[in-house]
Amino acid sequence: MKKIEAIIKPFKLDEVKDALNEMGIKGMTISEVKGYGRQKGHKEIYRGAEYIVDFIPKVKIEIIIEAAMVDAVVNRIRETANTGKIGDGKIFVLPVDEVIRVRTGETGKEAI
Amino acid sequence: MVDVELRAKRDALEYLWRQGLGGQALLHKHSQLIDDYLISCFLNCPEAGEGMSLVALGGYGRKELFPYSDIDLLLLHAPGTEDRLGAVTEALFYPLWDAGLEVGHGVRTQDACLADARQDFFFQVALLDARHLTGAPQLFSSLRQTFHGELIAGHRREFLQNMMRHRNERHQRYGLHSYQLEPNIKESRGGFRDIQAMTWVSHALFGLHELHDIEEAGLISPQERDAFAQARDSLIKIRNRLHYLSGRKNDQMFFEYQEEMAKAFKYPNTKGTLGVERFMQDLYRHLQTIATTTDLFFEHVDETLGSPRSNPGEQTIEPGITVRQDRLHLTDQALIEKRPYLMMRLFAYSGKTGLEIHHRSRKIVTANLHLVDDKIRHSKRMAKPFLDVLENAQDVMGVLSVILDTGLLTAYLPEFEQIRALAQHDVYHVFTVDRHLLQTVAELKKLSPGKTPFAGVESPHILALAALLHDIGKGHHEDHAKHGGKLAAGVGKRLGLTEAETACLQFLVENHLFLTVTALRRDLEDDAFLRQCAEQIQTPERLTMLYLLSIADAKATGPTAWSEWKGALLLEISLKISHLLERKDTILPDKSQGAEWMLEQVCALMGKTATPDCGILPEEYLLSFPPEEVAHHLRLRAGLKNEIQAITEATDHGMFWSVLIMAHDSTGLLAKICGTLALHGLNVVSAQIFTWEDGTVVDVLNVRPAAEQTYAEQEWQALGKDLNLALKNRLGLSHRLVEKFRTAFRSPGQKNVQAPPRVVIDNKVSEQYTIIEVFANDRPGLLYDITRTLADFEINIHRARISSDSDQVVDVFYTLDSFATKINNPSFQEEISKALLHIAENETGTGTKLQW
Repeated sequence: MKKIEAIIKPFKLDEVKDALNEMGIKGMTISEVKGYGRQKGHKEIYRGAEYIVDFIPKVKIEIIIEAAMVDAVVNRIRETANTGKIGDGKIFVLPVDEVIRVRTGETGKEAI
Repeated sequence: MVDVELRAKRDALEYLWRQGLGGQALLHKHSQLIDDYLISCFLNCPEAGEGMSLVALGGYGRKELFPYSDIDLLLLHAPGTEDRLGAVTEALFYPLWDAGLEVGHGVRTQDACLADARQDFFFQVALLDARHLTGAPQLFSSLRQTFHGELIAGHRREFLQNMMRHRNERHQRYGLHSYQLEPNIKESRGGFRDIQAMTWVSHALFGLHELHDIEEAGLISPQERDAFAQARDSLIKIRNRLHYLSGRKNDQMFFEYQEEMAKAFKYPNTKGTLGVERFMQDLYRHLQTIATTTDLFFEHVDETLGSPRSNPGEQTIEPGITVRQDRLHLTDQALIEKRPYLMMRLFAYSGKTGLEIHHRSRKIVTANLHLVDDKIRHSKRMAKPFLDVLENAQDVMGVLSVILDTGLLTAYLPEFEQIRALAQHDVYHVFTVDRHLLQTVAELKKLSPGKTPFAGVESPHILALAALLHDIGKGHHEDHAKHGGKLAAGVGKRLGLTEAETACLQFLVENHLFLTVTALRRDLEDDAFLRQCAEQIQTPERLTMLYLLSIADAKATGPTAWSEWKGALLLEISLKISHLLERKDTILPDKSQGAEWMLEQVCALMGKTATPDCGILPEEYLLSFPPEEVAHHLRLRAGLKNEIQAITEATDHGMFWSVLIMAHDSTGLLAKICGTLALHGLNVVSAQIFTWEDGTVVDVLNVRPAAEQTYAEQEWQALGKDLNLALKNRLGLSHRLVEKFRTAFRSPGQKNVQAPPRVVIDNKVSEQYTIIEVFANDRPGLLYDITRTLADFEINIHRARISSDSDQVVDVFYTLDSFATKINNPSFQEEISKALLHIAENETGTGTKLQW
């Protein structure tokens, strides 16, 4: 099992969600996050005053999938979230030791 | 197996309820059933009898027993009967417990009762409702007399104070967000506790037991009584059903029950609204009726019993409105009939002074709502104080709430009727639509100008009105923003706004979601889309209004609707649109016409004394400055005599400073300027460079200090002096810069991984100029080196934009060669590129390789 964490541009959330649903992935955790990578924060000057946008708003999607699906899922997110511009985001793939469903106690594949 | 019998009886009761036994009849029947059962238990118990009395307390004492309410009992006993108590309590309480009923029980002597009542206000009010069930009657009557004699009589004021304090505390506790969505019909504002608080006070203080007694005593009006009774009866039905639906003592209208309740009370879904939303709307209206009536009741009683207020003076504000004891009063019914707008003026005074409106005057407003007819709704004398409240009231939420509660708001703006107490069946919209609208006006007021980049609106009353009306189209089958826009336009016309103001109001209401939605759902780097946004919004003023409205709307929606995260997105899109809106070329579509107009303005400013030779001013220059500045430049030009002299003027813009430099054109001028600025610790962020036909150079450079330094601390005179020295070729800029920045240069070991420098020469983007872009890693003196290199090639720089906001510095120059033509020769282009790359790659600067 693997955990996929995708940091994407907020306006791409609906598209990515739909794409993942189409692949049969129904459950995901979504959070509003802020940060910066190569697309650093920037300064805006408006009417003589300066506003520093130091962290850029992004959306984080977390899903747990079987290892066999990783390539397909990662490619799909990459295709959907891509605008070709700086700040499109990143995808992380992490190993997962175990998944347990709280209500039933099911583990592994059944609990995803 | 007595509990079986009790259970069967209660099942039978539920059956009767399903057959239609409703409201208060059910409560009485339920109480009767429990009475009968308990009396028979008591009588059948051999140990019960002498020296004991069974008493019903609280809701059960009032015979208001809801299906799963607690049954509060008191076994009152005389001293010396203790040995028999165990058997009696077993006989009475055990079966109730076994039947699964919640029983509040006490076994006390009269003295213990009184002692407890002194300690515990809740027990005190429970005793107010005490009802004798069976057993020794003299025990009960003695308790009752002593209780009233010792705890109530002579303590009326204290009793009232306690009641009001507990009521306020309860309102606060149950006024939290979660209870807004899922009201507790017992404890929330306007719930059963408020009804009881009123009846307890009437009972204890005035000996009034029934609603009509309270009315006859003049504490409430007949209209209030009717509305109150109707709301109470509806709430009783709702609470009965809620108990049966939950199968337990539950008084909170949880989300999962709301739809089922709506179905049971036959609220079907219609095109515009969900049944559940209209059911909740009615529920909120009942709660509001109770809340308003009891508020007025308590104020009245408090005034009757209270000590005189600190300021007994009386002051007439205008005919018909008086301040008495720090409250505003309407004093002349005949005058109100003649000038109904007095009622709105009352609220405007309340908003301005912060004084509350006396409860009797609030009732007068409600009683005179029929006077607010179509004529008054079109009257400017009504509109003025109303807009005054919106724009200027100190506690705008408080004043608007009272306008709404008295019914004046709905009478004045009938569009409000549809959304009054309208709930939205989701967890996102915490408040009912009307409260949300008032809250939005209040949130708008809290957005102080210093905290957002967009502030200072020219017509704040339009913005406040838009906040009040933005959701007015809810509960209608059409798109609520669009429909609301139409309604708002109607309101605007009635209020006597100008056509432009009405159009702006309609625009704001129609588009109140525009920024929020686009910020979240659209690519903020899509320039074409941003241009569309700018075209739709049209002016910076409208953008500012939309931005403020979006924030106020979100903050007034609920705890999940607003976050810094959303705020950052909203700010980003707004700034991007604002840059497009403020760019002059989008505002002046016909450049030649703009230039002519500018010239006229400049000539008018200069006057006849010094008619300028305006032909020397290039068109692009004219379009880049306001007329006053052009005139100023022309005046400065007159003082520019010496061939090698520069005039330097600095202006403080807060976050950046601008430096105006005027001189006669000469090769390498810009390099000398940039070098001198760098030498004085100033970083150039952008530059506009113009050359008049007569060879006068007007350069405006926006700069920021490299070190922490204020505008006043900067040595501007020394800068001017050095610049003049540099122009006369008497200042060795290169070696001085190296000297100055020796310590600032990065040592090679700490170098960050950065993209390699790049030079792009482009002839396509601009019709007139060759654009040279230099991407380089920033270092002090870089701009000096680049401009000096360009000067060596005799290239003239006409405009420059210097940005240092990404990994690299990007310097963009709009240039022409020494023949004032574009740089087209490829080999010359390559030569320039190589020279600039050499400068950009040289980490140490100023052409000299230093070793350290």
